[in-house]
Amino acid sequence: MHRLHKRLSVLIGILGDWATFIGAVLILGLASSWYMIDVGTRLTTEKHGPWVGWSAAGRADADPYTRAHFARLGTLQLSTELAMTYLAYADSDGNRLHSSCDYAVDGRDIDNHWWSLTVFNDRGDLIANPAERYAYTSETAAVRPDGSYSVTLSREAVPGNWLPTGGAGRLALMFTSFDVRSPLLGKTDAASKQLPVIHRVQCR
Amino acid sequence: MKLPGLGFLKNVNWPFVLAVPVAAGILHICATLAAPYLTAASAYSRLAPGLPVNRMQVLNTSAPGAEPLPFMSADARYAMCRFDTSGGPVSVASTLPPDSGWTLTVMTPQGDNIYGAASVASRPTPIALVLVPSEEAFLGVTPEARGIARDIQQPTVLSAARGIVVVRAPDKGFAYRQHVDAVLKDTHCTARAF
Repeated sequence: MHRLHKRLSVLIGILGDWATFIGAVLILGLASSWYMIDVGTRLTTEKHGPWVGWSAAGRADADPYTRAHFARLGTLQLSTELAMTYLAYADSDGNRLHSSCDYAVDGRDIDNHWWSLTVFNDRGDLIANPAERYAYTSETAAVRPDGSYSVTLSREAVPGNWLPTGGAGRLALMFTSFDVRSPLLGKTDAASKQLPVIHRVQCR
Repeated sequence: MKLPGLGFLKNVNWPFVLAVPVAAGILHICATLAAPYLTAASAYSRLAPGLPVNRMQVLNTSAPGAEPLPFMSADARYAMCRFDTSGGPVSVASTLPPDSGWTLTVMTPQGDNIYGAASVASRPTPIALVLVPSEEAFLGVTPEARGIARDIQQPTVLSAARGIVVVRAPDKGFAYRQHVDAVLKDTHCTARAF
């Protein structure tokens, strides 16, 4: 009886070790993979305030994390050799973008530099609205004489560049910029990268 | 001298502890490499069923409820050609207007852009591609070999079995819509014999 008890204790000990081992491997291996694919790190992404862009998106020489990220997202990605695309799910203070709040997206236009700003819900769907406004580009936005512009995200119509957000819930903003060599997004000087600032104006 | 409180270290299975990061690393690599193939719907698999093979099609403007893909902005119009070179090479020709924001890209089913060209504001950008199943494909005797002077732009040869050619035209507002449509419709994607 004593020997059986001893053998059982050894068996439970071995099984316990293996269970811990397998659990630790699964948690560490899968969680780290998920984090690298879903969130990214400084090795794979460029972060400017709330904006996140994947540095090797759409490129034939992209790293496995970038490939997996966009395969999972199911998006049609322009190569970063042609354009940079940034997504923001939060305002510049770090608060989650939501259609119950109004936001002012302030940026600066640069000559010969094509950009676009589109609002989606957080699943990546366009937000239905009677005005059929979903995006502004450097060619359709009203830009001030000094080159600055402001796009307002709001449920209710406002004068100027208005993107309706009514009923969408959580929001995502996409900023696409061509001519990656320009000072706006140039890779030589991090301080010169100025993406639009997202201010929360009010919440209801 | 005996250190208090470290007695439990004697009971730790050190081979297991050391094997955890190694096994987790192997699992991390396998999971990351397998992720693109485990995804339910890649961009290619969503777009391909709605596109004719080896023919350019201008897509309707992206609208709520009718977006072909997530995060597909309404900031551009698209023309796409799903190509399949198993029956022979596929020729692609387009001239991007002297403007900014236009692109022609060749996307593989895995989502990589194996070719990409963007317009420049100073001049039109003519693009001529020949998509072939492999680099070794024989495309016929060149004009020079036949003693004929070449008077046209030599096409760029790309090796790709399947994929989608995407022409992206920036939204410039209602006034330019007809012009944008005309340029997109003037883009060719045609199969040709070996």
